[in-house]
Amino acid sequence: MADYLRVEGLRKAFGREAAVDGISFGVEKGKILTLLGPSGCGKTTTLRCIAGLEHPDAGTISLEGEAVTSVADGILTPPERRNIGMVFQSYAVWPHMTVAQNVAYPLEVRKWPRREIAGRVDEVLELVGLARFRDQYATRLSGGQQQRVALARAMIYNPRLLLFDEPLSNLDAKLREQLRAEIVRLQREVGITSIYVTHDQAEAMVISDQIIVMNRGRIEQQGDARTIYSRPANRFVAEFIGLANLLPGQVVAPAGPDGLLRAEVSLGGAQRAGVRALLAGGGAAVGQRVLISVRPEDVELGPPGAGAGEHNRLEGAVASAVYMGNYVDYQVQVGEARIRVQAKPTTLYRDGERVALSVRPEACVCIPGASEEG
Amino acid sequence: MSLLATEQETVVPSPGPRPPAPGPAAAARRLPAWVRAETLFMGGATLLMAVLVLLPVGMLLFTSIRIEEFGEASYFSLKNYTEFVVSPRILRSIGNTLLVSTGATLVAALFGISLAWIHARTNTPGRRLLEVFTLIPFFLSPYVGAIAWSYLAAPRVGMLNGVLRGLLGLPGDPLSVYNRWGIIWVLALFFTPVMYLFVIGSLRRMDPALEESARTSGSSLLRTTLRITLPLVTPSILSGAILVFVSCAGEFGVPLALGSPFKIETMTTQIYNLTGGSNIDYNASAALSMVLAALTLTFVFIHRKIILPRGYTTVTGKGYRPNVINLGRWRYAALAFNCLYLLMAVVLPLLALLLVSISVRWEGRFDTGALTLANYTYVFTYPLSARALWNSLKLAVAGATLCMALTMLVAYTIHRGRGRARGLVDLISSVPVGFPGIVLAMGILITYIRTPLYSTLWILLVGYITRYMPYGQRMISSVLLSLSAELDQSSRTAGASWATTLRRITLPLLKPGIVAGWLLLFVIFLREFPISALLYKGGLEVLSVAVWYFVEHETAVRTAAVAMVQVGLLLVAIFLFRRLAGTDELTV
Repeated sequence: MADYLRVEGLRKAFGREAAVDGISFGVEKGKILTLLGPSGCGKTTTLRCIAGLEHPDAGTISLEGEAVTSVADGILTPPERRNIGMVFQSYAVWPHMTVAQNVAYPLEVRKWPRREIAGRVDEVLELVGLARFRDQYATRLSGGQQQRVALARAMIYNPRLLLFDEPLSNLDAKLREQLRAEIVRLQREVGITSIYVTHDQAEAMVISDQIIVMNRGRIEQQGDARTIYSRPANRFVAEFIGLANLLPGQVVAPAGPDGLLRAEVSLGGAQRAGVRALLAGGGAAVGQRVLISVRPEDVELGPPGAGAGEHNRLEGAVASAVYMGNYVDYQVQVGEARIRVQAKPTTLYRDGERVALSVRPEACVCIPGASEEG
Repeated sequence: MSLLATEQETVVPSPGPRPPAPGPAAAARRLPAWVRAETLFMGGATLLMAVLVLLPVGMLLFTSIRIEEFGEASYFSLKNYTEFVVSPRILRSIGNTLLVSTGATLVAALFGISLAWIHARTNTPGRRLLEVFTLIPFFLSPYVGAIAWSYLAAPRVGMLNGVLRGLLGLPGDPLSVYNRWGIIWVLALFFTPVMYLFVIGSLRRMDPALEESARTSGSSLLRTTLRITLPLVTPSILSGAILVFVSCAGEFGVPLALGSPFKIETMTTQIYNLTGGSNIDYNASAALSMVLAALTLTFVFIHRKIILPRGYTTVTGKGYRPNVINLGRWRYAALAFNCLYLLMAVVLPLLALLLVSISVRWEGRFDTGALTLANYTYVFTYPLSARALWNSLKLAVAGATLCMALTMLVAYTIHRGRGRARGLVDLISSVPVGFPGIVLAMGILITYIRTPLYSTLWILLVGYITRYMPYGQRMISSVLLSLSAELDQSSRTAGASWATTLRRITLPLLKPGIVAGWLLLFVIFLREFPISALLYKGGLEVLSVAVWYFVEHETAVRTAAVAMVQVGLLLVAIFLFRRLAGTDELTV
């Protein structure tokens, strides 16, 4: 409970639909946490509840150990008294004010002395690289520049918490990459604890210390970028983050001390293959139905026949091969299953050619099968 | 970078003095979460709006099913509907209302559609300037228009009759406005701009590619206009037609001026007749009001539920690229048609008023030898008209201001609030659109007659605000809809309270809508007639009532002068409106 920000049992429904369905998580001081998920997963609603813009139906939100929202106790601190900063998707830069006026506004409402406001505004504009646009009307600027104004405005008063609501989704790809690097730099430099909402997994990977994957108002998995990608906890995370081949199977031997269990995957009809796979979380009893998730880039291709009879080895025929420059995108037909493989273009296999597929056991992640999902 | 906290520091240092952060939790615990300035203001405004609207409507319904006969206990019955409303005299007035409204709608559609097409789609010379003038009747008073037309085309003394007799040698009186045709004619002239605004808006928003793709696929110009353009604007034409019909059915001044003195009554004049004189009967008047409201509400309902949802969304983000049709020689015919409309609706009526108002006496011919400003001196010094001018200005300024303040909060509640009843609030706030002025005035009269408001300017103010709130609200709503809610929210998260956000962010951003709405309401209140006619008492006269009084009790020349004073004020307001607001905002 030493979390800087703590969200507990948060619930918010719009009509009958629960947008956020009782979620709990925390953020450590100075860290940046990303809420990642498809649209409608409740990530923005969660963020707006933290900001105080949305009134939750249940739950508590506490900042620095002090409750700012607690439905049970009737606490609902209005947004302006939470001392947080927020950057919106639409930039929300005020069109009737200049860049400097926009950025100075939070200090004015905090009743800073005029002289100090001017100095501080110059300093922050310098920091986001907008010093020369100081006296221009903010809406004359490009989207990327407007978002910098919004960023400067949100951090000028050193808020306790910085909230980002898909701040880059209205920008084009190149600008997005540039600005997201800048957000990371500023956040590290200033050290403000931040929560970042996005549906873009690449953005989440670059920016976050921690990622929470959300779906239908619930948390599917929380962890750092590497864990989320290489140890997906369930089918949703495996499919939402990157690409995954999901092979249905059954546990035949429990996990040993190395964390590897043995399973048998079915490739359609009576065709089966033994697989050693990593148990990502929870126990898997013998006989339990599971899915084995394999990333396309973890599959190695070789000539047929090599190392026959080993675990994690299959044979199939190339169904399609697309040359992508830095890799080749294959679809390999194995029994009735199609397995996607992204291999280095060192050896090229043609359509119809027979190949052997092999995967390291650590790259095969065992996740609960369809029947185990809620 | 010294001002920015580094990662090692546990407390963020702040530069300069900074007021201690208020204990948020402590402050929030004192009161329940919903007790906030914003909740109180927005909730209060919404409640006030709902009471203002629902009370008169409820009282009207209540009164219409009550029977009060002298010396007997009152009781409830549908007798007012089953016996009174179906009496031949009332049925005749209902027939007249339907007839003149239908006729006026057809003529206004003919004018409005062709003028809109000429301005938006053809190379008719001078169309930008013509556009400005075509909208003038929108702002003028139809009642004054009817009086002006009686100077032009009354039997015997009508100027045009004189001209026609002299030039063409026609015997007797070729023209007369004192009949159903006259009412249709004047209504059509004054409601043409409504039709025009609907159609031109739709033509301008249409994606030119829709027509261009018809042309490139081999369709001729005429064929494209008939098969593509016309069907695409049909929903707007129907919307415009419904609004014109409803406005004509609720119009009071024109039938009062041209029909009533000759026993041609409409529903509105009958509703008025029953509130005074020998056959005074509030219950019967309320019942007839309900019938008229049922008629107009039906049309408004058809418009909202059937026509609006079928409108084609042809809006593109690309802005307006007109594809102008070359009319060749016909463009002069189009110009002539446009000028003819302006002559009938603006030039001739205003000229007639002006000439009569500077004449010593009026007998149907303008005598350049007997000119005077004495009529104006009289208007400004005669107590009733001087008082009326002052009352109108007071009501217009106060009414527009209060109305905009109220509708701003209501519009904000509807578009930015978090309550569940926002749809209901929106519905209630648009109810007055379906109620003709005289009908709502009837409800207001019944509601407030026993309160201290009666016999003061306040009842007129309440009447004006109740009836015209939707106009102000549309203005605010159209701006609010174009603004992201995040503009307000970012001010809150930046640390500003609701009140500060309202003052520094919301109000400045809404300024265009507030200014346009204020000016439109100012114009409407300056010329307002039906509500004033029903609610005024001696001492509470307004400009339109003064014109009416002069019609009944003073000479034609003085009547023209008082009407000209109103027209002059309206023209100034129109000028300001065009300078400050533009015309895109007019379609309510």
